[in-house]
Amino acid sequence: MFCTHCGSPIHEGQTFCTNCGNRVAQAAAAPNPPAQHLPPVPPLPPVPSAAPLPPVPPAAPARMTRCDWCGATVDTSQSSCPRCGATLHHAPVAASASGWTQLPPRKDMAKLQFGKSSCQIEGLYVPVADMNLAAGDSVYFAHHVLLWKDPAVNITTMSLKGAWKRMFAGLPLIMTQAEGPGHIAFSKDDPGELIPVPLQPGQAIDVREHMLLAATTNVGYDWFQTGIWFQTRNGDDTETHYPVGNFMDRFASPQTPGLLLLHAGGNVLVRTLQPGQTILVKPTALVFKDPTVSMQLHFEMPQTRGMFWGSSWGARYMWLRLAGPGRVAVQSVFERINEGAMTGSSSATAAQW
Amino acid sequence: MAPESSFERIQCQWCQSMNEKSALACRACGAPLDIRNLISESGWREAPRIRDMTQIQFSSSTCQVEGEVVPVAEINLGPGDSVFFEHHVMLWKEERVAMSVLQLSGGFKRAFAGMPFIISVATGPGRIAFSRDATGELIVLPLHPGMELDVREHAFLLSSHQINYSFVRIKGLTNILFGGQGMYMDRFVTAGSPGVLILHGYGNVFERRLGPGESIMLEPGAFLYKDSTVTMDVEFQRLGSGFFGGTNMSLARVTGPGRVGIQSMYVHHHTE
Repeated sequence: MFCTHCGSPIHEGQTFCTNCGNRVAQAAAAPNPPAQHLPPVPPLPPVPSAAPLPPVPPAAPARMTRCDWCGATVDTSQSSCPRCGATLHHAPVAASASGWTQLPPRKDMAKLQFGKSSCQIEGLYVPVADMNLAAGDSVYFAHHVLLWKDPAVNITTMSLKGAWKRMFAGLPLIMTQAEGPGHIAFSKDDPGELIPVPLQPGQAIDVREHMLLAATTNVGYDWFQTGIWFQTRNGDDTETHYPVGNFMDRFASPQTPGLLLLHAGGNVLVRTLQPGQTILVKPTALVFKDPTVSMQLHFEMPQTRGMFWGSSWGARYMWLRLAGPGRVAVQSVFERINEGAMTGSSSATAAQW
Repeated sequence: MAPESSFERIQCQWCQSMNEKSALACRACGAPLDIRNLISESGWREAPRIRDMTQIQFSSSTCQVEGEVVPVAEINLGPGDSVFFEHHVMLWKEERVAMSVLQLSGGFKRAFAGMPFIISVATGPGRIAFSRDATGELIVLPLHPGMELDVREHAFLLSSHQINYSFVRIKGLTNILFGGQGMYMDRFVTAGSPGVLILHGYGNVFERRLGPGESIMLEPGAFLYKDSTVTMDVEFQRLGSGFFGGTNMSLARVTGPGRVGIQSMYVHHHTE
């Protein structure tokens, strides 16, 4: 076996070429799932554009390709996917040896289409979503992510159910809504990645709270209790902590395709879990998951033989076990929580080592 | 396309300086000359990403921009040249670089406003380097005689000595309380000769030129700089939710004519 890049000999089982560092093509690969394996996507309606396209002359049939990231069928003449902004025609996004995939590359100023409107994603450190809303199209957002707007764009509030619960949970109480025509732009205040998540009719996604940048108004917004918590201190001083948030947002697009824009800290890594396949992640790193993915706390207890605190809660490592089937995403910048001094938790499994 | 007539020179799209045709980066502001401008459909121009180790010339000194995530401005001061800055942006310097203090009027007011009481001056010959405390971009603005620029307080990294530094009080109590930028803005005015001003913007920086009377609403924390001809006023947007009484969102209305610059990682302040 030889490296396809530099021609050096490669031994069986090697993942990278020792000469040039090129990844070895996994021809006779183990039961590894393929690099890109999004949930099956129903065939898409053609991407609507502002002006109806003239009928394609039969002499030059449009060549179509499939976007690796969101599954949209795209004209090969385009350089970016109009549904999610991913750069097309790049080398296939390689999964890490462990199965995590980075977000696809995105060209600065890549443009997404939704309804009759469009959205440009600008900048690479703290990306801005610059929306050009057509008349009648609208988006909603938490008011603190607004960066700038045309004076003509009207902002109104969107009523949310369960306001009391939301207020106590520290969730944004008011969602603001902006209606076209006009430009409005959003950004968060920390370096990270903007994740466009096109939602197919009938598709839903569970998102960590405060990750939303903006969504089209045809995307339904609901939330549920995560049931993931741990406690510190005892008696009257007991404090309950929610490492995944007390509530998680659920975005669903029941009838029409919708667009959801999220912002996560640092870099974002995604993988798809097979039915029953599990992975342990730090609870505060979870960004989103398919609703089919289940969550549970897991503790690991290092053996500190002979030490009097050997089995105390303070010496446990806290994990979130995610079980497939479905897609999960984590962020590389996340809150480090103090796992010591824990006195109890929601249902959890434990292992000693 | 480069104009053929102007002695085979190309004009920098960011600062309008003329450069030799073979140049890869503008000698006055460091912007790459061989990369097309990134202008959004809404009219914002993304500040040019300065290539690592690009050199910029001003009077008899040079500035090299190093690093990309949190860039460093390393100045090689010529004899007699000097730059001024707020002391907390200094990263390192050679021992021979002489330091002094810029004489300012209104120091008492400044101390109350939380602005740096002392603006430091470094005089060449020698090297001195500056950086800020967050991910962002260096914005190099060559200033020509007659230009006046207002900058968010604490956002300037350094300025060459040809530029006069002053500050303007932000007018109106609402603007001070809800404008998100305190009581003062830095104002940089050129006198007789051109100079260079280097800012640091958090995240990505975008610039837009507003026509006379044209306006745009900004998150006040996103404001970075503007020509002094541009006006800025805070307006409230009431976000009612009936039962809970709602909340107010403040936005800055910025009206042309002139340039306005914003940063995408805004300094967020709380709503009322």
